[in-house]
Amino acid sequence: MLQTVYRWIDERLEISPIIDHALKKRVPDHKHSAWYYWGGICLFFFMVQVVTGILLMIYYRPGPDAYDSVRQITYEIRFGWLIRSVHAWSANLMIGAVFVHMFSVFFMKAYRNPREFGWWSGLALLALCMVFGFSGYLLPMDELAFFATRVGLAIPDALPGMSQLISALLRGGPEVSSATLQRFFALHVVVLPAIFVPLLGFHLWLVQKHGNALPPSEEAKPAAERRSIPFFPNFAMRDMAVWLMALNLLALLVALFPLQLDVAADALKPAPVGIHPEWYFMSQFEALKLLGHVIPGTLGEFVGLGVFGVGMGMWAAIPLFDSRVTTSLRARLTTWFGLLFLAALILLTIIGYIEVL
Amino acid sequence: MNYPVWDVPILGSGLVIALIAIFHVFISHFAVGGGFYLPMTESLALRKGRNDWLAELKKHSKFFLVLTGVFGAVTGVGIWFAIGNANPEATSTLIHFWVFAWGIEWVVFLVELSALAAYFYLWGRVSNPLHIRLGWLYAIAAWLSLFLINGILTFMLTPGQAWLNAAGTGNETFSFWAAFFNPTFWPSLIVRTLICLTQAGVFALVTASRIDGQRQPELKTEMTEWARRWLLPSFLLLPIALFWYLAEVPAAQRALLDLGNSTVGQGLFTLLSRLKLVFLISSAAVVAAVYLFTSKRNAVGFGLGSALGVAAMAYVSIGSMEMLREMLRKPYVVGQHMFSNGVRKSEVARMNRDGYLTNAAWVRPEERARWTSPDHGQNSAVPDLSRGELMFRGQCMACHTLDGYRGMRKLLLGRDHKGIANLIAVLHTYSDDSPYRPFMPPLVGTTAEVEALTDFLAAQVSGTNSVPNKP
Amino acid sequence: MSDCPQEPEPNSSISRRAFLRAGAAAAGACYAAALGYPVYEYLATAAHKAEAEGAQKEVVLNDIDKLPIPSALMFKFGGRPALLIRHGESSWTALSAVCTHLGCTVQFSPEKNQIFCACHGGIYDPATGANVSGPPPKPLSPYRVVVDQGKAVISRA
Repeated sequence: MLQTVYRWIDERLEISPIIDHALKKRVPDHKHSAWYYWGGICLFFFMVQVVTGILLMIYYRPGPDAYDSVRQITYEIRFGWLIRSVHAWSANLMIGAVFVHMFSVFFMKAYRNPREFGWWSGLALLALCMVFGFSGYLLPMDELAFFATRVGLAIPDALPGMSQLISALLRGGPEVSSATLQRFFALHVVVLPAIFVPLLGFHLWLVQKHGNALPPSEEAKPAAERRSIPFFPNFAMRDMAVWLMALNLLALLVALFPLQLDVAADALKPAPVGIHPEWYFMSQFEALKLLGHVIPGTLGEFVGLGVFGVGMGMWAAIPLFDSRVTTSLRARLTTWFGLLFLAALILLTIIGYIEVL
Repeated sequence: MNYPVWDVPILGSGLVIALIAIFHVFISHFAVGGGFYLPMTESLALRKGRNDWLAELKKHSKFFLVLTGVFGAVTGVGIWFAIGNANPEATSTLIHFWVFAWGIEWVVFLVELSALAAYFYLWGRVSNPLHIRLGWLYAIAAWLSLFLINGILTFMLTPGQAWLNAAGTGNETFSFWAAFFNPTFWPSLIVRTLICLTQAGVFALVTASRIDGQRQPELKTEMTEWARRWLLPSFLLLPIALFWYLAEVPAAQRALLDLGNSTVGQGLFTLLSRLKLVFLISSAAVVAAVYLFTSKRNAVGFGLGSALGVAAMAYVSIGSMEMLREMLRKPYVVGQHMFSNGVRKSEVARMNRDGYLTNAAWVRPEERARWTSPDHGQNSAVPDLSRGELMFRGQCMACHTLDGYRGMRKLLLGRDHKGIANLIAVLHTYSDDSPYRPFMPPLVGTTAEVEALTDFLAAQVSGTNSVPNKP
Repeated sequence: MSDCPQEPEPNSSISRRAFLRAGAAAAGACYAAALGYPVYEYLATAAHKAEAEGAQKEVVLNDIDKLPIPSALMFKFGGRPALLIRHGESSWTALSAVCTHLGCTVQFSPEKNQIFCACHGGIYDPATGANVSGPPPKPLSPYRVVVDQGKAVISRA
């Protein structure tokens, strides 16, 4: 019966080559294999985001009712608090997992020829995740959301010429308001997913095309000494177990630290003390602040964003710089650059938190 | 207030008990589960003629000896120390009524420790059957100690009608067995025994993951399979046993589990509902993860990281269940008899009439004289904060702190004097539809005492002593 | 493991395997149900609410002329608690008793002539339902009251 259905579908869609590919696929097995789980973890959290995001849209009302609808979700609708807290926590865990995934790819040198497009599409996905985070943060329209968004938009605002552009396109006025909320909502639930999903599809297709990359220590071994396990079912079973762990961690965080709702946003109120951006914007925020001390005024902002631009460009260009398989000066330099980048990220984030707490 | 109050800033005395207890729970259940694991694994290894297993086991038994003999015993004494300080009234009840049970428990504990010591030091020095019997002696003694303490712990949640009828009459002893084999005794015993097996399974799993699968694939597969046999049934049965246990809990207590289904409002005791979800999801996740990680295909490549992940989920599951069980007792510390702040249910009416602090042993005579002076409350413009503070220490500090765990300054934030008076009135009236009744004891005391507490709390929240004059 | 003496008969091995499969399927179904339950409840809230609200068009309360002045009577409207407050001989207000902050049930305090919520100290004006102080973001929603010979008919405003 099942086989008949399968054959009927296969005749029309020709899916058996895809299934054959999945059955033949193998995953390298070595002491760094645990890093192969991280892309899957990102994907898992993204799926949680899609499901809970759709569920939230069922009761969320953008516009003047936004705050009240989130209040109902959090305090009145059965398990509404659960859906909202899962969405928020899973967003944070997803961005965290993407960072881990990015650095593991970097240090395993998995961006080298032919995987350059994997690296670039991954970076674009990370950037989109952060815009997702920034736009989603405003949607409850409580005090915290309002001021965090105001502070966040103030950074590019300080640049000459930018203010007009941001006001006209992003904020819909000189001040964060319900017009901003409406735009962010459209961005968060329509524009970003419409870009994100195809890009994610491309990223996943590349992984199937090229397979898992081997770290240099494994590449150095003769092929006979390399071990691998079948993707299906061995690795898929382990992957499932890791997803369950991720779900469990999510459940624990949600249970112990569910999201509360602040008082409704009031533009006339002074900003509460200790307003700071989400942790994944903290290092950038802090870097700009520190540069502002050294070079005050708009020049500092310019230099700051310039340094960022150059840094990001270098980070994206890594596959072009370190593209050969053999160990060389370039490979070592790249590793050092990555360590420096990671250290700066962590250090700036810590300094940022010390300053606001 | 017949005892001094133990003031633990930020944490609160209740959380100190919880922190020691959760550690003790893990170790003590592990000690019992390990008691079964050691002789059973030893028999199996001998039957299969596996000397490599035996060598591993000897190392394990040393670990068990140190862990249970040192950390288990020390945290056990730590719980006594903490509960005696945090809730002396309840501790005194437990000691007086259960003195015979504690006596037996002491004997059993002594047998347990001696048997384990003998088991470890006699490896290879006595015949194999005798050695295995020593292991079983340890296991049975350890489980009996669980059996006894289970009776006392379940008594605290459901003392049973026989004991409740006898309480305060001086004839409590006649209801000893009824109180021991109380309604939740058997389901709880099963839950606890299953927890023991899970702990042994977690230990077996972590040990198995450390065997090098490339060098000893057969040993690794067998040991993982053995660990799996401990973990899967125990975690499958645990939720079922817990449902039986919950079915025996009074409906009013069980209702606490649903307070947080539709809200996460602070101060509304919503954590229990969330703990329930965490327990269910982690137990299921352990079963599934163990199944997936240790299937025949994957057993050889099963690593320490994965094992620790499973262990973490197992601890989350057990930990959330223990926390849930402890919090389920609210608002009582001894079900239907004594409230969590040590006030007996039978004393409420008397204390409302005569006063909570009236007979308190720890009030200075001059303080009491000042409170009872005729002009007090009428002419005095300065509110009597010391009286309010004593009320706070006596009746609130069993669960609340000022700034930390369940901190009053945060919970009362934004309320003025009037708002606090309203809240206190709700707690004092203790009507059937009060939103706090399911989890908070009534506030007892005379009108003047209740007002003094209001003044004290209002002063704490506003940070000054400027409260409005009393009418 | 070819020399394993406890190798079960092929026949029983199949039934054992079938048993394990069924067990795994059952456990998986339980897991899915456990995840699905909150989602179902979440989605069903709107229907429950509409049901409770739509079922009742009006409530009739008898013998209300015996209520002291001032005092309040707690009743249910559409499954949710509501308050009928008597301010004077023929001065009445009917309000929803669900706090607009976190949904606790509010109460009327005649001595202080105010409605308050015990959960987080919100205070409302008993005449209009307006939120006076504390965390409530919105006033209590009012009902229409028609009093005739000791009988009050309460309907949606």
